[in-house]
Amino acid sequence: MAKDRSQREDYAGPLKRLLVGILVLFLAVVFIVWRIDSPRVERFRAQVVDAVVPNMQWAMVPVTGIVNLVRDFQSYQRLSEQNQELRSELRQMRAWKEAALQLEQENARLLDLNNVRLDPQLTYVTGVVVADSGSPFRQSVLLNVGARDGIRDGWAAMDGIGLVGRISGTGLKTARIILLTDAASAVPATLQPSGQTALVSGDNTAAPLLNFVENPEMVRPGDRVVTSGDGHVFPPGLLIGQVAQDKAGRLRVRLSADYERLEFLRVLRHQGSVPISDPGALIAPVPDDMIPLPRPDTLLDGVLPEAAGDEAENG
Amino acid sequence: MAKTTPAAIWLMRAIFVGLALVIMFFHLLPLDTTPRRWAPPDLLLAMALAWTARRADFVPPLLIAAVMLLADLLFQRPPGLWALLVLLACEFIRSRLPASRETPFLGEWFAVSVVIIAIALLNRVILGMLAVEQAHIALILVQVIMTIAAYPVVVLLSQSVFGVRRLSPADAETLGARL
Repeated sequence: MAKDRSQREDYAGPLKRLLVGILVLFLAVVFIVWRIDSPRVERFRAQVVDAVVPNMQWAMVPVTGIVNLVRDFQSYQRLSEQNQELRSELRQMRAWKEAALQLEQENARLLDLNNVRLDPQLTYVTGVVVADSGSPFRQSVLLNVGARDGIRDGWAAMDGIGLVGRISGTGLKTARIILLTDAASAVPATLQPSGQTALVSGDNTAAPLLNFVENPEMVRPGDRVVTSGDGHVFPPGLLIGQVAQDKAGRLRVRLSADYERLEFLRVLRHQGSVPISDPGALIAPVPDDMIPLPRPDTLLDGVLPEAAGDEAENG
Repeated sequence: MAKTTPAAIWLMRAIFVGLALVIMFFHLLPLDTTPRRWAPPDLLLAMALAWTARRADFVPPLLIAAVMLLADLLFQRPPGLWALLVLLACEFIRSRLPASRETPFLGEWFAVSVVIIAIALLNRVILGMLAVEQAHIALILVQVIMTIAAYPVVVLLSQSVFGVRRLSPADAETLGARL
């Protein structure tokens, strides 16, 4: 039988080895091209995802629903208990709602008084999360809106409350959002009320790190973290979360967005802030059409002594 | 009931692709959007190795490369590298554990474990050399261990449900004669 086998390998061996060699070469080239020219390959990846994932969606929605239903079953078991809790919470919320409405009115009045103009171009597109990254090493989700809906790379994605991530990779019908928790995510932020700038960089844990804080002493746990708009990627002032301190004493951000249930996300249309390029002159530039008036000859004698007198008074 | 006819072989190839798609589908379900502390086993790798060790003709290199490249693209991994390593691992297993020879399962499991650890290490070293951002090493270790632990289960399921088992010498003869 050994003889038989060696004969067989004589036939098929070299051909198969050649095929394997070509495949190995091809895959190596793909990887190296990705390393050299990442954007192009990532665009290809977005196209592949765009072609594959929407085909799975008809099955994904019900399966996700069923799994979530089964997970929720435990909480159904203590339904009445939860009902009580929700009722009491609702009562508290009513009081808060009153307060919020009053504050909203007051805020609107104040904005009106100060003649503040909010950016009218900041509108949003809402999409549904159809898939996650599929890998424990990457934190991203796939949204069912894409280039067809005018989505562009770099736009911010939020749930109802806080920032969730940034669009990175758009196909025709899908767009990928790199979450703030991903290791590749870094967002410039401002800490309020101390006004310090920092970088919110994800590290594959639930709470991203706060890096490059100028004065960590001035930062307290519980401070608000909002986007600063530096780098002109995100509009400024979007809520990210609150400062927290981990056991090792490092500053982290407890995210405001509900990462447990990312379902509907809104993508902010951001047209880019207008960069202020020149530093601004100390004296306003003289317009070209302003020609110095001809000196009036007749009044000269009468004016000069007066001007001299004015200067003397001022001095 | 050894599957040696061309139709049966092509059917099993289709089943392999189908199973791979099902695994990818469940990976992609948006159930856990928070970062996890543990990593699930790499079932695609375990399945590719288990099928290669049993019936290499069900999983030709082209199929493995295509499926793993698709997984690379869908799972946001550096495209090509993991597919390349899995392909090499399968080729190694194919040459070391010929389908017609009797190998005790423990020996096979050991060989597979060594191969899985080796390609995980190689993956990390290559990514490190090219300065690609990588996941935390603990997470990768968990995945390697889970994959090795899941291997017997994958083998059991492949054998009992899908009938992927080694050929008896007689079947190997008929297959060899036809090839």
